[in-house]
Parts: sequence; structure tokens; C-alpha cells
Amino acid sequence: MTPQSGSAAPHHAPQEGDGRAQSAVAVEGPAVSSFERLTMPHLPVIARFARSLTRDAAAADDLVQETYLRALRGWHTFRDGSDARRWLFAICHHAFLRDVQRADVYVQPPDDDPELESLETAVAHWRAQQSGLADAAERLDLGQAINRAMGTLSPHYRTVVVLVDVEGQTYEEAAEVLGVPIGTVRSRLFRARRMLQDLLFDYARDAGFEVTHMPAAKEAIK
Amino acid sequence: MTPSDPPFDTGKRVAAIDCETAVRRLWDFLDGRLPPQSREEVEAHLATCVLCPPHFAFASSMQRALAESVPTVAEGEERLAERVRAALRRQLGAPDDSTR
Repeated sequence: MTPQSGSAAPHHAPQEGDGRAQSAVAVEGPAVSSFERLTMPHLPVIARFARSLTRDAAAADDLVQETYLRALRGWHTFRDGSDARRWLFAICHHAFLRDVQRADVYVQPPDDDPELESLETAVAHWRAQQSGLADAAERLDLGQAINRAMGTLSPHYRTVVVLVDVEGQTYEEAAEVLGVPIGTVRSRLFRARRMLQDLLFDYARDAGFEVTHMPAAKEAIK
Repeated sequence: MTPSDPPFDTGKRVAAIDCETAVRRLWDFLDGRLPPQSREEVEAHLATCVLCPPHFAFASSMQRALAESVPTVAEGEERLAERVRAALRRQLGAPDDSTR
């Protein structure tokens, strides 16, 4: 069996219960070589992606294995010449969401107004400046604080931040991986960044910084 | 804060924007997704505003920290690759090289 050829059109991650995917288990020797040749070089980045999503080493390794098993079952849906790494990202994301749904922690995010999220980010920072929390946050080990904050984001928000801010995917690439419109990527991303910034200020407060003054930020920014 | 003029006259007019307009463009600006004219308007605003640059600077440093927050894979890559290859062969019903 070989991947479909002649098209770079978006493809879909194989889903459980897909009859075609089940039939693809009967992959023959040379096809396995082709599968491994095209997919295994991406294992380190998929492992990193899985680790960013799960925040747990053992769960990440399980997710990587599940990703490759799903990919093999859906190998016939892979279009020759298309981006194997993005295809694996999409499969990994689907598998991760399936795990999240099984764990009953899935929450559909609301539609956000991206520009309002940008404004709120600045307003929150302004408020933190006034109270001194912004200075305190800048003294934090930002990398460690970010890592901790990422673990508290809900899966939809964490995923889009990982794809765009950690893995450097474009909005368009992230939209294809997630199977959502670009506008949804943008709104989730902006909301997630605002939540991360809020968490950094929370950590600064937890570190013992006293909040002294909380003026009306929205009035000041106009 | 009132709208600000560009820092100097280049002969090319850039529309003055207020702080709210500037910060509404914060993430699009940092992600390089603004149209050229909108970007120039934000740049001109940041060049003269005393309130907005710290918001952009903090957001930018947070983005840098995110980009550098790449997790390390606990299990060695090669070991994980072998585990995955073995699972693929088990799925195919083929002999597992790792057990030979």
C-alpha cells in the first residue's frame, strides 16, 4: 500500500471506527519502510508536542505510540508529497483530545473577540504595573513560571499555544492541524496568552508580593 | 491619553491612533500579522506613547519565554523510537526486531 498521490489538499487524521483505517492494518513490508521513512524522522518533534500537551512524561510516550499506531492505520489517507509532520501533529492532537474527553475534562471554549482579548491583556498588565506585580513577574524565572502556567490551561488553549508559540507553526498551519478556522486559532491564542499573563501575575502574588493599589485600568487606557 | 503625532515628519503621513486602538492590535502586531499601514500606525504610536510600550515589551518577553519552553523528552529519543517501532510491528503482526 502507498499513500495517495497527486494532491496537497488537506487530509484528515484517521478516526477510530473508520473502516478504511482498520483495513489499512494489512500494510506490507515495503509500505512499512515507506511509512517509517516518512514519519519516524518527525518522532522527536511529535514527542515534544505530546509532552507539551500532556505535561507528563509517561502519558506523552503513550500518546506518541498511539499517534504512530493511528498514523499507520490511516497511512492510506496520507497524500504523497504533503507535510508528514503536520499530519502527525493532527493525529496526535486528535488522540490527545480523545484522552481528554475520556477523562471528562473537555470543555468547549467560547468564541472570543481577539481584539478585545488584546485590549484586556494590556489592561491586565497596566493594572499589574500599578500594583507592582508586573515588576515582580519580571523577576520570576519566566521559563519555569510559563511551564507551570501551561499546565493549568485547558486543552484547547494549551494546544494552540504549543502549536504557534512553542512549535512556531503559522496560524494557517495550526488551523489545519486543529481542524478549525484561522479566526478560531487567533481568538483561542489571544485568550490563552492573556490567561498565561494573568497566571504569571498570580505567581508573582503567590511569591509574597503585596498588592498595594488597584486603580480602574480601563479608564486609564483610554 | 490623547492621540500622538509621529516622532518626525518623513513626508509620509501615518494616521495617529490612540492607546486603545494600539493595544487592541497588540498580538497581531507581535505576530507580524498586521497590514503594513496598521503596523506603521502602531510603531508610530509606540514611538511617542509612554504607557503602551511596557505592555508590548512584557507580552513580547512572554512570547520569547514560551518559544524557549520546549520540554525535554524524558525517555531517550532512540528508546522511544524503538518502542514505537515495536508497537507498529505488533500491530502488523510482524516479528518484533527488539525482541530478537
